[in-house]
Amino acid sequence: MSNLVVLPIIIPLLAGIIIAFFHKKLPIARALSKIFIVINLIVAAYVTYLVFTNGMIVLETGSWQAPYGIVFVADPLSVILVLTTNILTTACLFIAPKLVSDVREKYYFYTFTFLLVSGVSGAFLTGDLFNLFVFFEVLLMASYGLIVLGGGKVQLRESLKYLLINLFSSIIFVTTVAFLYAVVGTVNMAHIAERVQEVEQTGVLTTIGIVLFFVFATKAALFPLYYWMPKSYTVPNPVVSALFGALLTKVGIYSIMRIYTLIFVTDELTSKFFIIIAGLSMLFGVIGALSTNDIKLLMSYNVIPSIGFILLGIALANENGLGGATYYLMHDMIIKTALFLIIGVIVYAAGTADLRKLGGLIHYYPGLGWSLFIATVVLAGIPPLSGFIGKLLLLRGSVENGEIIIIIVALLSSLLILYSVMKIFIQGFWGEKDASFKPVSIRGMLAPIIGLLAVSVFLGIGAEFVYPYINEVAVYLLDPEIYIQAVLKE
Amino acid sequence: MEIIICILAGILFATGVYNILQKQLLRIAIGTGLISHAAHLFILTMGKLKRGQPPIIEEGITNYTDPLPHALILTSIVISFGVTSVVLVLAYRTINENKTDNMDQLRGNEYE
Amino acid sequence: MIFAALAPLFIALFIPLLSKIKAKIHTGFFVLLVPLFIFLYFIQFVGLDFTPVLQTYQWIPSLHINFDFYLDGLSLLFVLLISGIGTLVVLYSIFYLNYKERLHEFYVYLLMFMSAMLGIVLSDNVFVLYTFWELTSFSSFLLIGYWHFKDRSRYGALKSMLITVLGGLSLLGAFVIMYVLTGTASIQGMINQADIILNSSYLPLILVLVLLGAFTKSAQFPFHIWLPDAMEAPTPVSAYLHSATMVKAGLYLVARFFPVFSSYEWFFITVTTFGIITLCWGSFMAVRQTDLKAILAFSTISQLGMIMAMLGFGTDVAIFAAVFHILNHATFKGSLFMVAGIIDVQTGTRDIRQLGKLFTLMPITATLAFFGTFSMAGVPLPFLNGFYSKELFFESAIALQAQSTGIASVLVTIVPYLAVAGSIFTFVYSMYLFFGLFGRNKNKQFNLRQKIKEAPIGMLISPAILVLGVIIIGLVPNLFNQSFLQHAATSIRSTATMESVSFWHGFSTPFIMSLVVVIVGAILFITLSKWQKVYDVFPGKWSFNRVYDRSLETLDTSSAKWTNFYMNGSVRTYMSLILGTLFTISFVFMYITDGFSIDFSDLAPVTILEVVVVLSIIVAAVGTIFTNNNVAAILILGITGYGVTILFVLYRAPDLALTQLVIETITVTLFLLCFYHFPNLKKRTESVTTKSVNLIISVGFGLLMTMIGISAYSGNAFAKISDYFIETSLPIGDGKNIVNVILVDMRGIDTLFEITVLGLAGLTVFSLIKLKNDKEAK
Repeated sequence: MSNLVVLPIIIPLLAGIIIAFFHKKLPIARALSKIFIVINLIVAAYVTYLVFTNGMIVLETGSWQAPYGIVFVADPLSVILVLTTNILTTACLFIAPKLVSDVREKYYFYTFTFLLVSGVSGAFLTGDLFNLFVFFEVLLMASYGLIVLGGGKVQLRESLKYLLINLFSSIIFVTTVAFLYAVVGTVNMAHIAERVQEVEQTGVLTTIGIVLFFVFATKAALFPLYYWMPKSYTVPNPVVSALFGALLTKVGIYSIMRIYTLIFVTDELTSKFFIIIAGLSMLFGVIGALSTNDIKLLMSYNVIPSIGFILLGIALANENGLGGATYYLMHDMIIKTALFLIIGVIVYAAGTADLRKLGGLIHYYPGLGWSLFIATVVLAGIPPLSGFIGKLLLLRGSVENGEIIIIIVALLSSLLILYSVMKIFIQGFWGEKDASFKPVSIRGMLAPIIGLLAVSVFLGIGAEFVYPYINEVAVYLLDPEIYIQAVLKE
Repeated sequence: MEIIICILAGILFATGVYNILQKQLLRIAIGTGLISHAAHLFILTMGKLKRGQPPIIEEGITNYTDPLPHALILTSIVISFGVTSVVLVLAYRTINENKTDNMDQLRGNEYE
Repeated sequence: MIFAALAPLFIALFIPLLSKIKAKIHTGFFVLLVPLFIFLYFIQFVGLDFTPVLQTYQWIPSLHINFDFYLDGLSLLFVLLISGIGTLVVLYSIFYLNYKERLHEFYVYLLMFMSAMLGIVLSDNVFVLYTFWELTSFSSFLLIGYWHFKDRSRYGALKSMLITVLGGLSLLGAFVIMYVLTGTASIQGMINQADIILNSSYLPLILVLVLLGAFTKSAQFPFHIWLPDAMEAPTPVSAYLHSATMVKAGLYLVARFFPVFSSYEWFFITVTTFGIITLCWGSFMAVRQTDLKAILAFSTISQLGMIMAMLGFGTDVAIFAAVFHILNHATFKGSLFMVAGIIDVQTGTRDIRQLGKLFTLMPITATLAFFGTFSMAGVPLPFLNGFYSKELFFESAIALQAQSTGIASVLVTIVPYLAVAGSIFTFVYSMYLFFGLFGRNKNKQFNLRQKIKEAPIGMLISPAILVLGVIIIGLVPNLFNQSFLQHAATSIRSTATMESVSFWHGFSTPFIMSLVVVIVGAILFITLSKWQKVYDVFPGKWSFNRVYDRSLETLDTSSAKWTNFYMNGSVRTYMSLILGTLFTISFVFMYITDGFSIDFSDLAPVTILEVVVVLSIIVAAVGTIFTNNNVAAILILGITGYGVTILFVLYRAPDLALTQLVIETITVTLFLLCFYHFPNLKKRTESVTTKSVNLIISVGFGLLMTMIGISAYSGNAFAKISDYFIETSLPIGDGKNIVNVILVDMRGIDTLFEITVLGLAGLTVFSLIKLKNDKEAK
């Protein structure tokens, strides 16, 4: 039974390899990619179901008992994220044949995408810190493949910067793993957690924790480490941007969430520090979004504040905070994909990403316009849509901890996020009908987007069906013993 | 000796970073090479140095050096190699396309 | 009740289908039934024996978000206004908007708004209330932007959205704080636990946040600026949202939370001050406007300020008067907006400078306008409802008692004067409006451009019904008193009962104040052209609109400036910032937690050979910085790599040494392949500052890593898990080379994905090169 856990990692791995053989035969590659992702989605859903009904599943690979071998741990948090990953990838792969050029599809777009999913799922599921590094490398390498795909001058240039900074942070990551190994003598996360508790987190551990935080924060694009992110998310194909925006930074923030609930304690000093970082991420991200007329760049900047919101939840380290962070994480993965795809379709349809050149698109693409409107409202956290539930929980958590200033910052940044994205609707879609404009067909592009929006709306209006599970995640995260016991079986 | 190696690794990090902060792409690439050496040295040191025989089981010997860091470094070396090769080819293509190897001219703030 | 409130929302979903039928019947006729039925449903509740009703429907109970619909007197007043005026507005819109407009869109928004507004006034649950609150903001946004091909519409829509959503968000903040304090999401529950809120240290913040929500929505000074621009919406919308209902949501909110805050002195001070200022400023500015709807917009602002002020007074009379005036204002202002729409449609202009002498051309409209404007002005005539509430306003203003010294007492002294001043200007703009339209035009070249006819009967029905309301309430002011208004007033303040309202009660102070208003107002109106220049000086060019425009502009430009400053595309800048932050903060943490430790007890011995190797690696590493030749630099990098290989040999890691040797060789080859043909490294020409910054960052970072490394090494407290590997390698793993067993068995997953990484790298390199060749081939 527990072997199921590895399937969400292995299926995409195999899918990627198999599709690589058909890379010149696009119809087959496309069909295969859809079949595989749907299979993977079903498996992920099934694993999620199992975890929430029967409890965590721990797989000791090669039957080497923990903490010696590598373990995969399907706990409530990781399965929810794996499931979300698959949902949004499904949407991306269904829109890809329309939005990705044939040349790029032929150059292993599907293989890279599947391996990205494999790496991301691995990162969510692994219970071993060094193995986490390996999965990070898998997903980063896949992302390097995706970002340079068929690129010209600009794309190559930005990819290079992206690559350099990620390479650097990976090296620090692996060094930090070594430091931890020196202190606690193990690389299994549950085991590390147990031993860190025993020594009551000495000073050097706190410092290592902070360095590790910086490593993940760089990947998560938090203030003040996000410089590499906005432009490099702008240059590739929109589907790739969507995958990046939804997955890459989220793996980073997931890792922070994991190590700071399981291994390191969020003491008062760390909590204050995180809250400051969270607040500044909210503000600087949205300031960045306001600074540009390039709608793709605008969207990329909007990735930053949401990571800030999630970090806030981690910093609060109470039930509402962690529940809110989880809810927000899930919501944000879905809605960011939808928004990046919408922006991609707009650029495809209008032929420009310059907001000043857009206008009156609603006369030609009403469906697209209203999708953008709804997505914007979701993003800004307006009730009763999904962004609101997460934000509400985070606000409640903040008040409970007496963190009032961050509430004001969070609300203000919500307003500015709304403004920055609503600008696209007002300037791009409203306005006079331009008779000289020659619309291109966007048939089939809206369906995946609407699918994602439906999920998003459900997460909001149907919160009663979802929130109890998220609350379970929060309660579970607050007690690292459950994880440690499940893995080490003492 | 461990402390000396820590200092060595620190110096490698410092020189690596100094190279990365330069303008020319080659120097940056060299910098990444240096810091990955530094990382590997750190990993090795963290498992203690010279505390036994090489980790190959031989009868009569019970004392071996810590094998786990070796395994981790091996994985890391291979991965670094993969990444470095991508960096190099990408750098090559970037220089070719943009006709410059100066990062200052690769900023991209000019209107495109 | 929930069905009544949510019905419009659901019906809205079917409206787009209706338009597919392409029947000759105006969509409005179908829509008309919705508010009508709601009105009829709720009118049943009106009566002397009315008691509040609570109905609960679960939605997200685990988050305390439920449809707890609570209908008390205050809610009932608003519900009837919303559905009643709603019916009239829909009826009016049928004649106002013709078939060519995007009708289904219009009615979808309108119905959405109607549901939202009903939801606000019925929800007892603060989170549901907030949900509907934002829904009104967005439906208002869409309605203002209905004619989105006009620049002004887009501008107005954005402005209203930004300001009202700002208020909404701050309201959310207040709700969350109150929820956490009291543990309940129910407003009634919060009222019962008002002590907790009043004794909380967050009280001032809560008050500010709640009032920010209310003031933005109800267009109180200085947030009023969105309302005039909202007039870009079709006139039925202005009459409905921006006069009768949505802008009163703020008043509703203040009234609803009145029992919580009323004993807090700052509530009195803030609400009264802002109300009075809004009253004066709105009426003062209304006289300056030339657009019909702008005059009405400022007049609405001013009237809202007056009601807000009365809620601030908080006395029995004031509360009753506030409720009374909410009703009265809806009747006369609604009819006036409709009249403005009629004139716009019939004459083609809303500019008062180009209008006049319409009395004979449009007698019915003129009559309706007469009742509306004169009631608004508070002219003491026994058939105008505006006079009654205005006089109660004066009565409550002079009856204020100073509870204490300080700001409150100053306020109490000046309020009556400001009340009179505001009312004088109210009188002036009312007359300005009426005589501007129907009197003679002073402009000599004035000429009506087209043949003007009286409006079609359909358009006149709705304003006529409202004017009828003005007259009926004027003639029988106590008609709704006991059965209706009383319930509303007492649900705000339990003692706010009013025996009866009468037209004449002697030469009391309020009546004298009314007379002063009429006399001074008349003088000012007649001499209007003489003193109008005052507006050039005050407010002159300075206005809050300008503040809004400028701050939005500044936001855009300065964010661009700021972002471009550090997001300059240079890897060097990025890396310096990232590393600078990393080591600064890490050092701080290390210092605070006393993280550095060094322990010399458990170290391997130092040999000369090792030292030599280490020194040569250092020399080579430093050498890479100073070499200016491609090949040389690459080879020196190779030396460090081979040096590390030797260290691996010395430290008994044969597998590592072999791998490193191979990989290093391939890497150096690759380096040479890629860079051989490129221009040589240049001498660095950076400034000293750049150099020293680079130096600080690299040394700082290296130092940090060394220090953590040493502390980590010295801090080790546990046995390594490796012992297990050594023990089991042969018996279970069946291999003598422990490292190999770990790699392929114990940590086989690492290796599997390490190979995946390598494969991916190969694929990436392949596509990078292949794609380029393909391009060149083309």
